Amino acid sequence: MRDTTSSCARNDAIETLSGAQLTAWQTDRLREVANHAYLEVPFYRELWDRAGVEPGLLRSLEDFARFPTISKHDLVQAGRFWTNPHQGSVAFSTRGTSGAPLLVWLSAEEEEAYIQPTMRGFRWAGFRSGMTALLMSPVWHRLAACEAHAIARLGGRCAFFWGSMGSEYTDSFLHTLSSARPEFITTTAPFLLSLVRGSTGATIRPHDLFKGVRSVVVVGLPLTPRMREFLRDRLEVEDVFERGGTQEGAAIDECRFHSAPHVHEDVCYLEVIDDAGIHVAPGVRGRLIVTKLTTTGSTFVRYDTEDIAAFAPGDCPCGSGFRRLRIYGRPESSVLVGDRLITAYDVRMCIEEDPALVGRNVLLIREANAQAGVLTVAVEGEAHDSANLQARLREQLGVASADIVWLGDLRVNWGFRQVLDGREIRLPRN
Amino acid sequence: MATENPYLLFDVPGGRLAFGDGDLDIWAEHLAWCYRMMGIPDGATIAVQDFGSSPISFLGSSLLMPGLQRGVAERIDGRFICLDASAERVTLTPALLAQLAVDALIIREDVLVLLSAQLHKKGLAELAQRTMKTIVVFGDEPPALNPVRLPPSRHLMHIENALLLAPQCVKCECFHLREGFYEVDGRMIRNLRLAAPTYDLPRGELFSPSHCAAGIRDWCIGWSPRGQGI
Repeated sequence: MRDTTSSCARNDAIETLSGAQLTAWQTDRLREVANHAYLEVPFYRELWDRAGVEPGLLRSLEDFARFPTISKHDLVQAGRFWTNPHQGSVAFSTRGTSGAPLLVWLSAEEEEAYIQPTMRGFRWAGFRSGMTALLMSPVWHRLAACEAHAIARLGGRCAFFWGSMGSEYTDSFLHTLSSARPEFITTTAPFLLSLVRGSTGATIRPHDLFKGVRSVVVVGLPLTPRMREFLRDRLEVEDVFERGGTQEGAAIDECRFHSAPHVHEDVCYLEVIDDAGIHVAPGVRGRLIVTKLTTTGSTFVRYDTEDIAAFAPGDCPCGSGFRRLRIYGRPESSVLVGDRLITAYDVRMCIEEDPALVGRNVLLIREANAQAGVLTVAVEGEAHDSANLQARLREQLGVASADIVWLGDLRVNWGFRQVLDGREIRLPRN
Repeated sequence: MATENPYLLFDVPGGRLAFGDGDLDIWAEHLAWCYRMMGIPDGATIAVQDFGSSPISFLGSSLLMPGLQRGVAERIDGRFICLDASAERVTLTPALLAQLAVDALIIREDVLVLLSAQLHKKGLAELAQRTMKTIVVFGDEPPALNPVRLPPSRHLMHIENALLLAPQCVKCECFHLREGFYEVDGRMIRNLRLAAPTYDLPRGELFSPSHCAAGIRDWCIGWSPRGQGI
């Protein structure tokens, strides 16, 4: 068995640090990680030599902000020059939604560091010793690999369904749900929404099968407040929590106040920057930059995820000093309308103001007229109060015009992408 | 014998596998033995395109499962690449194989056509064939030879609900039922290490022990050349 004592102690203690203490602690970790990267990973040494930054002189978060950001393209191009000699022996693939997928390595030491925040997040979501958890596939994501370890250490039992996270496996999921009777579930939001939609008109309704489930933790899609209520009410579970993270090291979990997921500051240092590379204030959107605070596994220092995110302003009522971050989407879940970047989350927020439209799949359509300020949105189901919805979209999203395509009976899979090119789908025009 | 206090439950086609303390390591050791029987050397980089609830995936490393002291990667001192078997993920595999030299790709038979098509599309099929062993995982019998698929180097028989893992031997080409793990009675194959349903071998020929020097006490399963598809 791996020795977990020191990392447990480290992670428990960090939750009680003051803001200044946490900053000092993170600065030390960043210096340690940067020194390691400089000495062991040629890609970083060359990059930072060119940029004129020195890890040894890193004394503050402001110093760190002068280090250049890197992209997935940089890492794919770097190939073996990005190899960390301590990267570990297990690799996972990114989803490749923004180009080529990247292999990300995980070591035992790094996993140990990430199991602790997973346990914390599951405790926040209500997991208790003795419960059974129905979990995502451990090979799906490096964070998913930590889940079963976290459940076992919290004194629980793990169940897995056969298959993967596509909508074609919802029956398999329901089978395990009905036989394992879990109290706790982790899954992806698109999968859960596909399941709810697929059960429309079925003899056995989802809430019959979810009986006894206390918490559902979802990843993969930012939950709007109405979407959370919709899932909670439709499934009749006590609560639905949002969990997030990236293969590159970001890890976030919601507490029971649902004000935005907390950043697990003990394993990752997250920044949100504008196009000029400057940190933006809480509440202002920018691009999410990730640095892992471990020296093993694949090394990510100031990695630009391209995710659109913002830190939540103010404190959380739960009392945790960990910052809160809302990830709104990615370029592939957004469209540029005129000069405004509109995410699928923004559009759903607008659409779901009408209770009749909550739970319907919504897709943004990338079309040529977007340059002229026209937002095109496809909404599942029959037309409903189009004029008011168009007005809301125009007003709240600041676009010149909104074109709504009602999909009628046409069903489009719930997915992570949420944006289609106009040529990819033949839309019924209203 | 039923597993006592199982803490890991895996639903698989036709049943459920339940593991308690110490069970996983028995099966990780067995899977590492299967890989060696198929000619995969220690230190290899193994990529597995299978579902996470398949033992071929979750026994890959101690990082994937609690209570697994040493998974396959740790036992062969190698590396393990997690490739989910969903169609979405299979389409990514060619780009990953272009980034990293893999010694063996273990792939479910039902996604091999898709992967082969993707490799051909990207012009990587020949390279993949030259540089790595492709081990195709099948159920009741090996798939028939199909020119549009990557030609397999070996096959691995996997009956999920019986946790039957029988590798195709590099010496005799037959599929070994390892002594101490499986018992054969007529055409019934019983798992001796885990509470699992007995498997009734529908086709193929059973050879009694002493058939192959690579596992002198093992029963072996052989298929006729037509049926083997190899």
